[in-house]
Amino acid sequence: MKIIYTVLKKELKDTLRDKRTLISAIVLPALIIPLLMFGVTRLQMSLMNKEENKQLKIALIGIPEIIKKQFEDDNFNLYYNFNLETGKEAISNDSLDAVLEFHPDFLLNINQMKSGNLNLYYKSTNLLLYNRISGKIDILRSQVLNDRTKQLKISTEAFTPIIISKVDIASPKEQIGKMVGGFLPYIFIIFCFMGCMYPAIDLITGEKEKGTMETLLTVPASRFKILIGKMAAISLVGLSAALMTIFGMVIGLKFLPDIPKDFLDSISEILSIKFIIMLFAMLLPLSVFFSGLLSAIVIRTQSFKEAQSIVTPLTFVIIIPAAIALIPGVELNWQTVWIPILNIALATKEIIAGTIVTGQYITIVSSLILLALVAAYVSFKQFSKESMVLK
Amino acid sequence: MIQIQNVSKQYVLSKKQQKELRTHDTSFFAVNNVSFTCTPGRVFSLLGPNGAGKTTLLRMISTILSPTSGDIFVSETNIKDSPELVRSKIGFLTGTTNLYDRLTSEEIVKYFADLHGMDKEKFKIRKELLFDQLNIHEFSKKRIGQLSIGMKQKVSIARSMIHDPGVVIFDEPTAGLDVITAHNIIELIKQCKQEGKTIIFSTHIMSEVDLLCDDLAIINRGDLIYNDTMENFRTHSSPQSLTEAFIQIVKKNSTIPVA
Repeated sequence: MKIIYTVLKKELKDTLRDKRTLISAIVLPALIIPLLMFGVTRLQMSLMNKEENKQLKIALIGIPEIIKKQFEDDNFNLYYNFNLETGKEAISNDSLDAVLEFHPDFLLNINQMKSGNLNLYYKSTNLLLYNRISGKIDILRSQVLNDRTKQLKISTEAFTPIIISKVDIASPKEQIGKMVGGFLPYIFIIFCFMGCMYPAIDLITGEKEKGTMETLLTVPASRFKILIGKMAAISLVGLSAALMTIFGMVIGLKFLPDIPKDFLDSISEILSIKFIIMLFAMLLPLSVFFSGLLSAIVIRTQSFKEAQSIVTPLTFVIIIPAAIALIPGVELNWQTVWIPILNIALATKEIIAGTIVTGQYITIVSSLILLALVAAYVSFKQFSKESMVLK
Repeated sequence: MIQIQNVSKQYVLSKKQQKELRTHDTSFFAVNNVSFTCTPGRVFSLLGPNGAGKTTLLRMISTILSPTSGDIFVSETNIKDSPELVRSKIGFLTGTTNLYDRLTSEEIVKYFADLHGMDKEKFKIRKELLFDQLNIHEFSKKRIGQLSIGMKQKVSIARSMIHDPGVVIFDEPTAGLDVITAHNIIELIKQCKQEGKTIIFSTHIMSEVDLLCDDLAIINRGDLIYNDTMENFRTHSSPQSLTEAFIQIVKKNSTIPVA
């Protein structure tokens, strides 16, 4: 154990002095995630505000005098001198936002209690435009409906024979679990992998490339112990990256504007000791698995560049099962518990929602430990080969 | 003492390697049935052209590589039986100053002392001695990446000698080094000899052989083609220079032309 501890201590010291590792394992997850969350939300809000208050240029064709007033709005510039062809052309060259064409019999049909038809021409790329115009039409529709019910002397309830009152039984925890539970593991699994990536390349291929591996192999320590020391350092950096991601996301949520207090309270409730322990129990074997997998791969490479070019595309292989967990309907069951990475992502959702089945959780942790041991064994087999450890 | 007994190292050639080497052989011997003995208090020099098998042989002595056949004894311990015990008795130094750039000299030497299982007191005494001898104190707190090649080589020496090994293996220790740094290595070899250590070193430089060597072996394409004392080699080569004598021996035992 002393040898493993010596190697681990040295590798951690060496790794934490490497700027690339510090950036990918500490700075990026802890700082960029909250900044990204804050920045994206701000940008989204500012774009929404801009779209909502944007002055819309709308051409009204064949609009009956009586309803012209309905469309008057400080944020609408209304034009009455377009025909359909010039209107559509103006939309194409962005000098007009929409054309609302009323059917010649529009008013007649309304008065005869028939449907009044109108066509809306616009570009779907013009965000919120449809909502803003249909808002005006909805007002008109309810006015016509009111007039008709009065005329027919029937209650408006006659037109709403069934009313559904939605009563959500799901606790805020469950709602958050389904909402962000899929996104959270997607992020921390990727950062865990990225956190393992640079130390693995640096501590294994880097040592081969620099020639320090040869001198390291002349010390009275078994290759197994040296490898375990190195793998422990790689795993710890990966684990730190994953935990820093969660920490970064929590910090981001705390400082994000307009987050309802109920939501924040639920987040605090979710981040209980039990949740952290359960997550940690999955993350630890996951990081060992990543460490073993990456060590077994990079040991076959001769240079940092070669290792990087082989390992970087692997990120996409990791992303796929994590992303599948985001698809609605993909749930944790006795089939998905056996799929690595996907099982962690789905289990995290269930843990957050408080609906995890103990048997399934134990199966996931056990399968991850088994996977980590297999990865470590494969890595050791590679490390034992003379042709692999020497340049 | 190092005893090499009928040691061979055979490598299987891949199709790509066969093509590169322009051969139909499916394997080749990097070291072929080599035997010699290095005795304590004497400097044993291993000579040979590039690719002769010198590094492979030294790597086998230091247990980094395993022999395909034959036995190697280091201080009477067979490397196959107790490789870790053998490694605790050896110091290994190459000319390429391979160190960890982000660690300081002190941290590196401490790391290797810990890997050799040295206790704190012994480490402190040994470190002070080596750091004094090699003038490392002035830059011991600086990271390796900030040091000159000469300084790095001093740290490499301290790293390989910290556990006071009885057997020292030098693999082309002065290759690519400036005159002053190379001189430090020569002095170290002399000192090891005075201390009664078993020393084996490979080199291309005949002046170093002339200056340091007590016994020598020449290997070419994996075969041992000469093994005698330096005194006999000098007698044998006269009136030629040592370099001329070395080339002649290699040429006589080579199927390919030697420059």
